Amino acid sequence: MAMDFGRSAKKEPQIPTSSMGDIVFLLLIFFMVTTVFRKETGLPVELPRAEAGEEAQRELVSNIYIDRVGRISVDDRLVQPKHIRDLFKQKAAENPLLIVAFKTDTYTPYGVVSDVMEGLKEANAVRVLFQSDIEINPGTKY
Amino acid sequence: MAVMKKKKKLGSMGEVNTSATADISFLLLIFFIVSTIFAEEQGLIMLLPGKKDTQDDVVKVKESNVATIRVGYDNSLTLDRKPVVINQVKSLIEARILANDKTVVVLETHPDAHYGKMVAVLDELKLANARKLTLKTTKR
Repeated sequence: MAMDFGRSAKKEPQIPTSSMGDIVFLLLIFFMVTTVFRKETGLPVELPRAEAGEEAQRELVSNIYIDRVGRISVDDRLVQPKHIRDLFKQKAAENPLLIVAFKTDTYTPYGVVSDVMEGLKEANAVRVLFQSDIEINPGTKY
Repeated sequence: MAVMKKKKKLGSMGEVNTSATADISFLLLIFFIVSTIFAEEQGLIMLLPGKKDTQDDVVKVKESNVATIRVGYDNSLTLDRKPVVINQVKSLIEARILANDKTVVVLETHPDAHYGKMVAVLDELKLANARKLTLKTTKR
């Protein structure tokens, strides 16, 4: 009996690692399948094209969608131009570096954008971004 | 002898070496973590003037230093009341800034004009390196 104990103490304990790969793959596949990227629905817009576009940090950006008929969407909700001020006053207070991105359709009347900008000025959300797509063939301006 | 050997081979299971599978999958995982780039927002950045508390905040600019670009209700363009084409804007403004570095560009857009037209002009102004820019809306 004593001999047996001695033998088992000397023997290195073995952890079976042959299924590690399967486990890791399984985890990988599980997370790939269950991951849902948060996406704002917004409104369908055809962005204007621009050459001089700069990039902005996504974390700082808050979007305003304005479609062709002048509907305005912020945080997946349709809003009236007069409510922009209060909405963004709060956002600007929470994040002083806030950039407001206009995802506005090329054919939207400028008046709507202008009204929204007036609201932003009053809310002190002064950093704006006119979001654009990359110009594919320069020289063919709108 | 030859027959015996063949039988033995068929009987024993072929072993695939799986000890490297974990390393391979980890490598793949790390590769994708490193190579993933999330799309950035791209566009023309502007600083709005913000709320004016007092009249003192208003900056007065001499008229000779101002270049006014108007986008009309029919999307027509004028620079200081003279009609221009979008492709000329960049060079004209560049020339104006070169002649007078105090030039302030005012982009005045009619409420009925298309937003895309205004962005197109703004793009040209950015390309022309116009730093002093003001957005204005034509009164109806």
